[in-house]
Amino acid sequence: MRAGVAPRPLVRGPALTRAVVVLGGAGALLLVALVAGIGLGSVTVAPDDVLRVLAHRLLGIGASSGVSPSTETIIVDLRLPRVLGAMVVGAGLACAGTVFQAILRNPMADPYIIGTAAGASLGATVGIVLPLLVPALAIGAGSSVLGLGAVQLLAFAGGVATVALVIGVARSGGRLPSVTLLLTGYAVSSLLAAGVALLMFASGRALAAIFSWLMGSLAAVGWLDLAIAGPIVLAVFVVLFARWRSLNLLLLGDGPAANLGLDVGREKLRLTMLATLSTSAAVAISGTIGFVGLVVPHLLRLAAGPDHRLLLPASAVLGAALLVLADLGARLAGGIPVGVVTALVGAPFFLFLLRRSRRVVSTMPA
Amino acid sequence: MTRVAEIAGLHVSYDADGARRNVLRGLDFEVSEGELVALLGPNGSGKTTLLRAIVGTVPRDAGRVSLFGRDIATWNRMELARRVAVLPQSLVLPDGFRVAEIVEMGRAPHATRWFGSSDADAAAVERALADADALDLAERHADELSGGERQRVLVAMALAQEPELLLLDEPTLHLDIAHQAALLASVAHLRARRGLTVIAVLHDLNLAAAHAPRLAVLGGGRIVADGPPESVMRPDLIRDLFGVAVDEARTADGRRFLVPRASPIANEPSPRRGGMTG
Amino acid sequence: MTPRRPSILLTGLLLLLSACAPAPATSPLASTSAEPSASIGASPSSAPTAAAAYPLTLTDDAGREVTLDVAPARIVSLAPSNTEIVCALASCDLLVGITDFDDFPAEVIEIDKVVTMAQVDVEAVVAAEPDLVLAAGNELTPTSVIDQLAELGLPVLTLYPESLDEVYADVQLIGAAIDRTDEATGLVDEMRGRVEAVAEAVDGLDRPRTFYEVSVFEGTIYTAGEGSFLASLIETAGGEPIVGDTLSTSIEIEDLVAADPELILLGDASYDPTITAETVAARPGWDAMTAVRDGNVVVVTDDLVITRPGPRIVDGLEALARAIHPDAVSG
Repeated sequence: MRAGVAPRPLVRGPALTRAVVVLGGAGALLLVALVAGIGLGSVTVAPDDVLRVLAHRLLGIGASSGVSPSTETIIVDLRLPRVLGAMVVGAGLACAGTVFQAILRNPMADPYIIGTAAGASLGATVGIVLPLLVPALAIGAGSSVLGLGAVQLLAFAGGVATVALVIGVARSGGRLPSVTLLLTGYAVSSLLAAGVALLMFASGRALAAIFSWLMGSLAAVGWLDLAIAGPIVLAVFVVLFARWRSLNLLLLGDGPAANLGLDVGREKLRLTMLATLSTSAAVAISGTIGFVGLVVPHLLRLAAGPDHRLLLPASAVLGAALLVLADLGARLAGGIPVGVVTALVGAPFFLFLLRRSRRVVSTMPA
Repeated sequence: MTRVAEIAGLHVSYDADGARRNVLRGLDFEVSEGELVALLGPNGSGKTTLLRAIVGTVPRDAGRVSLFGRDIATWNRMELARRVAVLPQSLVLPDGFRVAEIVEMGRAPHATRWFGSSDADAAAVERALADADALDLAERHADELSGGERQRVLVAMALAQEPELLLLDEPTLHLDIAHQAALLASVAHLRARRGLTVIAVLHDLNLAAAHAPRLAVLGGGRIVADGPPESVMRPDLIRDLFGVAVDEARTADGRRFLVPRASPIANEPSPRRGGMTG
Repeated sequence: MTPRRPSILLTGLLLLLSACAPAPATSPLASTSAEPSASIGASPSSAPTAAAAYPLTLTDDAGREVTLDVAPARIVSLAPSNTEIVCALASCDLLVGITDFDDFPAEVIEIDKVVTMAQVDVEAVVAAEPDLVLAAGNELTPTSVIDQLAELGLPVLTLYPESLDEVYADVQLIGAAIDRTDEATGLVDEMRGRVEAVAEAVDGLDRPRTFYEVSVFEGTIYTAGEGSFLASLIETAGGEPIVGDTLSTSIEIEDLVAADPELILLGDASYDPTITAETVAARPGWDAMTAVRDGNVVVVTDDLVITRPGPRIVDGLEALARAIHPDAVSG
């Protein structure tokens, strides 16, 4: 055969072009989404005004923001945290979805599949209902610990604790078989969902609040929420990105990956907990928003290929962009929960993808 | 001659259906550098278990297993992956990757750079593809490949690890007759070219005899026959071990092979046969 | 909206930078008790004549302390009952934002809606630049929304009256907040008077076991919860209410049959034409009840005022009294 036909690894040649196109495209979409997300809503603000307001309020440039005080409030105190929240949640969920699909080698895997959603939902529901059932627990109006609502903290704790439980049950002899993990997650999720349903039944007036949480909403995301969830999602992303090789190797299968030196059991555990942290942080501030974590990785695998060096960052960026847009759609549609928008758009789109390309499913390792 | 693998008094058992099954019972086995040994035996005789014991992925109840002169328990996974490669049974490859990228995964144990690949890695990958006769597949996508092509890719991936010991776990299971022969021929060729030591678990006696200078046959949890094909491929041994009567035959150019005389199942009373569908 | 390219790039850059910059810990508007800065809300021209009343600190039904620096000139109401109270205190013209459920008095129909289908549009509330927001308690306005508005520096009073006395107190509270204390006192006195008249009229009369049907949905019967406002109204109107669970306000059909109401008031008939005495009597198992056998199933058309804890609650009480004791209480 020809000498010197060096097989080009990812960072050279056409792969680099593809990386630039994908990341660039996703990044551009994110930028557009941010501008639209901050400018549009009940009150429409032109991009220039958005710029001026942000420059004035955040960087101290300019004597005044040039818009009415209420508009300024809307931009900086309502829209900005909400849009940033959408970015954090979208990125966190998409990353987690990518990782779970690699660990479980299952195309239907989403960030919630091994129990995070069920656990977080139960935590949040308890947080909403308990003060009503036991008035002594309503620690004053707002019921905040350090400004973070009991609901957020319980949701986060619920998500993490549930996955820890599922892992504990599914693990045997230092190994974490994917199928066992999936099935255990399903069983535990069902159990917790029953708990949520029971609490919903007994909840009375709080039912609307619970339902709204379950459908997912970015309306209540504040700066404190961002200050805590943001770094968690970012830190998890960095660590996951550093472990791209493990993620790629896992696609070969547990046996071959182990033969290439990977401590498969421990690595799966590590990756699962990392993805769970990211998911729980996202869910804690926004409720359970579906489809982002499932569809984004699939979409990108078609465009970017399965190598996690590109897939992971691209997922994060595209997830962020799409959720900002979905939240904008939710607002423009009258304040419906953003989870409804992601389902309404995500599901048909996913079906379309499946029809258009057989590679969506076959791209997943068997 | 350096001992690549030394096994003495190995006992391995596992739980099945609530009972403890003893698979290997005081097995002794040695492989020296540069050898090509075929492991044979009836289904369930422990061939794969023995392979797993060599790389330490199966817990042993008793006995000693040494690899390159050191007890297997002292090895860590990375070290092992740098010197031992396993060619699996399954031909499944993750879709979406180019062949070159998959072969490059074989460099994982040696990877020095976190993000990209070094020139040494690129060179190793190219060499591996060339040796596996898969250079023409380098830019193809994994999902487009046929079974034989996948096999070559897997061989290339194993070679990219630059192993000293190559283990084959019934790699011919999903291959047709032409590819089976091709694989073993190339393995033998590679052994010479790269100075590999090869232990291959095979199920086809004749194939093994045709390609491996040494056959080791498992039975009753131990090695019951170990040596060149002429000494091992004896009808009486095969009959005792596999439960099937075989006849010896020779090709025109003098190669010897064994042919089963009749299926043992055919001699069973009918209720069992009636229970089979189709 | 077609953004010009340099704006996008610059916006993007600034947004990236803003993400790195320490998040503004609190916006200048974010203190509930400090004076609202010259931004949203305070209209300098509305300085009250009775200057001594402000700044004013009030405690709302949720226990929050809210300070008003000047008499509110722009009020957003997040519940129909609050709207009615404001209007009853001759301050309808101060309303700049209401809900889509608000229907009384007729003049409020034109006011901008900031709540649609029970969803509070926080941006619309902010855009209305109110200096007082009247919210509803018990999650009718979600606590998260109340918190959010409070964090933005808007004075939010949460009202949740669960008895007539608490309605009076809330009327006084709003009256104090908007400097209409005289009107508030007058309204409360009038309401008290009418309530006393009802109490006198039914005093000493037999108290029929009364079941008020709020709604029946998919087999679950909703009524007055134990200890609820509605239950106390029925009592005041001279009935003995059959009550459901405190939290869910539902009652099992078996419990209802066991309680054996002598009078059934069909509150849901106010908006559902399929609910009539005949259809109710035809429900399986319901004919075991005394009320059904004796034909004491009454269609109620005033469910709205019976369940809206505002000034017209007394109309509701009177309607209940008329239904329970038609001979003693006249229209």
